Amino acid sequence: MTEVMTGTTAPIRKKYKVIDTDIHHCLRDWSELQPYLDEPWRTTVINPGSRTGGNGLVAWGGHRRRDSVPPDGGIPGSNPAFLIKQLFDETGVDIGILTGDIYALSVHPNLDYANNVIRAYNDWTIDKWLKPYPQLRGSIAVNSSDPEAAAAEIHRLGARPDMVMVMMCATSLFPYGQRRYDPIYRAAVEHNLPVGLHLGAAGTGIAHAVSAVGYPTTFFEYHSGLPRIYMAQIISLVTEGTFEKFPTLKYIFIEGGISWLPHVMWRLDKNWKALRNDTPWVKRLPSEYIIDHCLFTTQPIEEPPNPEHLLQIFEMVHAEKTVMYSSDYPHWDFDPLGPLTHLPEKLKRRIFFETASELFNFKEESDG
Amino acid sequence: MAKHIVARAGEISPGESRLVKVQGRTIGIFNVAGQYYAIKNSCIHEGAPVCLGTITGTFIPSAPGEFHYGNEGEILRCPWHGWEFFIASGGSVFNPQVKLKTYPVTIQGDQVMVEV
Repeated sequence: MTEVMTGTTAPIRKKYKVIDTDIHHCLRDWSELQPYLDEPWRTTVINPGSRTGGNGLVAWGGHRRRDSVPPDGGIPGSNPAFLIKQLFDETGVDIGILTGDIYALSVHPNLDYANNVIRAYNDWTIDKWLKPYPQLRGSIAVNSSDPEAAAAEIHRLGARPDMVMVMMCATSLFPYGQRRYDPIYRAAVEHNLPVGLHLGAAGTGIAHAVSAVGYPTTFFEYHSGLPRIYMAQIISLVTEGTFEKFPTLKYIFIEGGISWLPHVMWRLDKNWKALRNDTPWVKRLPSEYIIDHCLFTTQPIEEPPNPEHLLQIFEMVHAEKTVMYSSDYPHWDFDPLGPLTHLPEKLKRRIFFETASELFNFKEESDG
Repeated sequence: MAKHIVARAGEISPGESRLVKVQGRTIGIFNVAGQYYAIKNSCIHEGAPVCLGTITGTFIPSAPGEFHYGNEGEILRCPWHGWEFFIASGGSVFNPQVKLKTYPVTIQGDQVMVEV
């Protein structure tokens, strides 16, 4: 006797609740935003020519999980009920933070187009995803290239309990520590919201290449070098004194991995001892600002030949307070809970639940 | 080890696959140019439903700047992380020692049978 299955993995048994800090919900198509837009944006938003496109590089097999196409069609991540089924019921996530997929609008040449479409996207996220699904939380997408408009968007939505962070494109026109971005940070701390960065859009629109040595040739080369963006941003934030100006600001570096961090912390610390006159407002070891203010999400977790080495890296970066679980659902390099289940029980609780719960003030939630 | 009927020959065309459940295990049955193969629907990397991946070919290792496409229809690409496996052996393209769980398949009359 045979049974044909639609198939996927068995539910995981776990002793703790899980918060997923990186879920890419997406539009079924751009016309979904039209009810939230006035002209001319209502017309231009559905014109593919109005968007800036990619950087010409694609992942083999596509950017999204082939097994995550919703039963009624459409692209993976566009159907809320199917996302809940695959990620919550089958993977074991209990609370999920939506990070969207419109980062490239921050490097669009037209600020008005980007600002309006991003505002519409936030309203669509609230209506289609957050109101019907209390297990989901949203992030306020902003256009970092227009800091005053970004701050206005944070003030417009920042009081909503279902919006738990500010979401910016990791790729920027200037390093994020520069004071031109202070309006964003001022608004974020006023609403007690962390600022999250998500990698993407490097080399698209009016953005710089992913590296200072030019544009990569393949997606393999591009994707492998993405953490350089975070290295540049975190060094800027520390040296410009952003965390001195905004002592309660928390910054989340999503999807950039973790193992590059010890090098950056130690190089900053070494240089600070000799070069601190450049930035006398940097009053402590740079690594202390990073550990106190910055958080990092797990996916795509590094897979060293000796898994013990990842534990050593976790120790170096104080992972018990700086690292949070993320799945990246429904993208091609999705991580379930499995790759982290070998960690010590106490650290696992911190990474899967406690650190995110404290950061996002999920007071009403208790660890299962 | 017992043999289980999982399909009739001809129900799965060359280049196609189907998921079946045998004794609680979900298994992908693949027809590669008339030969049948059975692979457990769980990737050894992170447990993805590997049999829902793409049946494809791959690029044979070559000199820089050269592309030699081969093994069309013989490769299964996992839907998570994109690892490539030879359907016939279950071995991955990057390291044949890294293998998916496979099961012996036999044909008896017009019945495709898997040994589990």
